[in-house]
Amino acid sequence: MKLLSFIILSLLSLPLFAQNNMNDYMRQTGKIYVVFGVILIIFIGIVIFLIRLERKIKKLENKINHE
Amino acid sequence: MLYDKWWKILAVILFIYILFFGILIPLKPGILNVSPSRFNAGDQVSVKVEGYNSFFLKEAELWRAFIKIDSIHSLQAYEINVISDTELSSKFNIPANLPSNLNLLSASFILDHPKSGAMLIPSKIILSQDSINLASAESSWLNKTKLKLHYRSSFEFPYRNILYETIRNTFYHVSLWFAMFIFFGFSVYHSIKFLKHHKIEDDLKSNALVNTGILFGILGLLTGSLWARFTWDTWWTKDIKLNMSALTMLIYIAYIVLRASIQDIDKKRRISSAYNIFALVAVIPLIFVLPRLTDSLHPGNGGNPAFGSDDMDNVLRMVFYPSVIAFTLIGLWIASLKYRLDYCSLKIEDIDE
Repeated sequence: MKLLSFIILSLLSLPLFAQNNMNDYMRQTGKIYVVFGVILIIFIGIVIFLIRLERKIKKLENKINHE
Repeated sequence: MLYDKWWKILAVILFIYILFFGILIPLKPGILNVSPSRFNAGDQVSVKVEGYNSFFLKEAELWRAFIKIDSIHSLQAYEINVISDTELSSKFNIPANLPSNLNLLSASFILDHPKSGAMLIPSKIILSQDSINLASAESSWLNKTKLKLHYRSSFEFPYRNILYETIRNTFYHVSLWFAMFIFFGFSVYHSIKFLKHHKIEDDLKSNALVNTGILFGILGLLTGSLWARFTWDTWWTKDIKLNMSALTMLIYIAYIVLRASIQDIDKKRRISSAYNIFALVAVIPLIFVLPRLTDSLHPGNGGNPAFGSDDMDNVLRMVFYPSVIAFTLIGLWIASLKYRLDYCSLKIEDIDE
């Protein structure tokens, strides 16, 4: 929970680092890696969800095929 | 095909690849702003140029700046002072007349360097003149030699003035639409098979693919809307491609409603398969043909298909083609899960009887 709020708060503080240019907003001193990390985490979460679904369906199919 | 794991692992690997390269490859150097940008003919002006991802200090004496009206009329700066890596000032002697019959003219500003390549900010400079004298204008503006601009070939994405960093959305937003069309096409294939042989699996597959296609279409609309908010300053416009893609979503949501509304199972399958085929036939001219007949802010319209030299670049292609494959494979995974779930529920109902 603490880690989650830390991540959310540090993402919320990103606008404070915006300089004169709105255009290189994220691409400064490493913040772009945060964007990459966030999206990667979201994607891995979705993949884990799909893998769990896949396992449940496979169990169901095995049950049906054995009856 | 449905139960093998190899393509699912490939989907995940490709996705991580497009995420990594799509977000982390930098943009080519470009011009962020030039100021001031309004000049009168006959002025001696000093233009301050702000660069993006630029290194003006490297080999600073090799920079050249031009004000370009068209392919044969341009003016070179007589002096360039580099202030920092992203700031540069260029001095021009604007001739007393402009090569045009009008009092107001717009021109592009170009910076060129053998290593950094040529950077352009289009139509930013506005030139005005009080009197018109084409003869003297031609002698001062006509190019005496070719500009000989350099091209920077590097592993970087192209810099485009309205898009800036959001060009990376090409891999995520556009691929969603490509994947959606692949699913809809594939589902029509299964619908036709169902109407020929009446195997329930085909109808279930086409239903799963349409549902996944609708999911990707809605995501495409949402991501496109967010992208438009930051580049066109609006969440939606009355652009024909946007309206047609919203219409496509409505057509396919009607497929779901149709399926839900018919009680008799056989009739439901047959009618929705027929509707699916009609839907694709209707959507293809709406999305591919109509937008090209009119001008539009959306890339790919106004006469030219997208992915010409203005929208696509070889480095972009290196991440774009894998992203289409990645989204297609992920969507096929989702569709296959739905199909298998529906098939199992059907079998359970049969067993229970």
